Amino acid sequence: MSSSDDSNIGSLRKALAGAGPQGAPDPWEASIRKVALHQDRAEFKKLFDHYAPMIKAFLSKGISSYADRSLAEEMTQEVMFKVWNKADSFNPAKASVNTWIFTIARNTRIDFIRRNGRADRTIDIEDIWHEADSPEPVVELQQRRVETMIRNAMATLPEEQALVLEKAFMESKSHNEIAEELALPLGTVKSRIRLALSKLQILIDR
Amino acid sequence: MISYHPDSRYLTDFATANLPLAEAVCVSAHLEFCGKCRAHVQQLTDVGGHMFARLQPEAVSEDSFAALMARVGAGAQAPAPVTVAVQAPREDVDDTAQSNVFLPRAVRRLVSGSLDKLRWVQLGKALRVAPLQVSDESRETAIYDIRAGGRMPEHEHRGEEITVLLQGSFSDADGSYSRGDFVVRHAGEAHQPTATMDKDCICLVCLERPVRPRGLFYRLLEPLVNYRLQRLNRSVA
Repeated sequence: MSSSDDSNIGSLRKALAGAGPQGAPDPWEASIRKVALHQDRAEFKKLFDHYAPMIKAFLSKGISSYADRSLAEEMTQEVMFKVWNKADSFNPAKASVNTWIFTIARNTRIDFIRRNGRADRTIDIEDIWHEADSPEPVVELQQRRVETMIRNAMATLPEEQALVLEKAFMESKSHNEIAEELALPLGTVKSRIRLALSKLQILIDR
Repeated sequence: MISYHPDSRYLTDFATANLPLAEAVCVSAHLEFCGKCRAHVQQLTDVGGHMFARLQPEAVSEDSFAALMARVGAGAQAPAPVTVAVQAPREDVDDTAQSNVFLPRAVRRLVSGSLDKLRWVQLGKALRVAPLQVSDESRETAIYDIRAGGRMPEHEHRGEEITVLLQGSFSDADGSYSRGDFVVRHAGEAHQPTATMDKDCICLVCLERPVRPRGLFYRLLEPLVNYRLQRLNRSVA
């Protein structure tokens, strides 16, 4: 896909998202762009001040069981280092800045766990969790609407559904681990997550 | 036309990066064939992004930014991501030759670029298998190549089996499967896949534990097969 196609989709998606107050342009997109184009350290400092404490909070939730707090600090720096280096690959048509930085933090975390576990590396995390070729534009547009939906619906989830989402996405636990921790059958965890997702208009058939 | 997809558990555990590596490789492979599941994973990742943005921030140490900028200033580079040439699945390409098989990025990496370089073990007339090293001890991962029209020995699964079809198609008593399909078989289910006549069927297979062949001949063969696979694993590792 050429870069002009990307920007077309990006502007379409912005037009759609711009309908409500929550559709205001993401101010962090401009910061990322300045870092990418000019290695702008002042803008990067703003990004760091905003995102580093969130990244640390995310990593702390995932690693409390197997490591100390200084590790979260070290990994946070690693994530922001990647933000600096990868700024030019950020594509606002594909993801918000929040989602983009979340994926970098998520991949850094899983990469760290794997490197700690074993020395041999036959495959890189980025070979598995990569941005595959862009879906058809139609899918992209539906996706943007869903993104707004997620924002609005998240707050209305019943507590037991919000809890399983929190454990899966923020505490980085698999369905099996959540089932074990909450002493629930795997099927119950699966149906709670599916129910929560369907309220967010993420309708997975199975 | 893709008819079999990963369920919500696979997609969610993939999007949160909580799937065992070998299973994640299978989901990742399916995603390159399936725009719908790719869109679902994007949606799920957005959920992560929203929850992430609502976390109670935790202060980082005061010298953290300075330390980071010292690293940046020193021209340190993050480990460069492996760039693999983009190769889109194409319906119009003649993929009968093995070297033309479209391989998803994760698989391409695991086979070092080409199926021809793999160390194949012939198992009977119709099937050959090449084990892959995926640093995941809970699973065995391999590429299966079933000859056109060939029939695999009937086998029963002791654990869960995931198959992603990379080329060709096969059928068993439960249905027929074509390129991109993500087929899960649970422990205790027995089946005997048969490749369609027109071309070889190439699959990515991830097994919880080795399958147990049912026929007497293969049961006798099993220790040998296991031995050969283990020896191969050792020599590859």
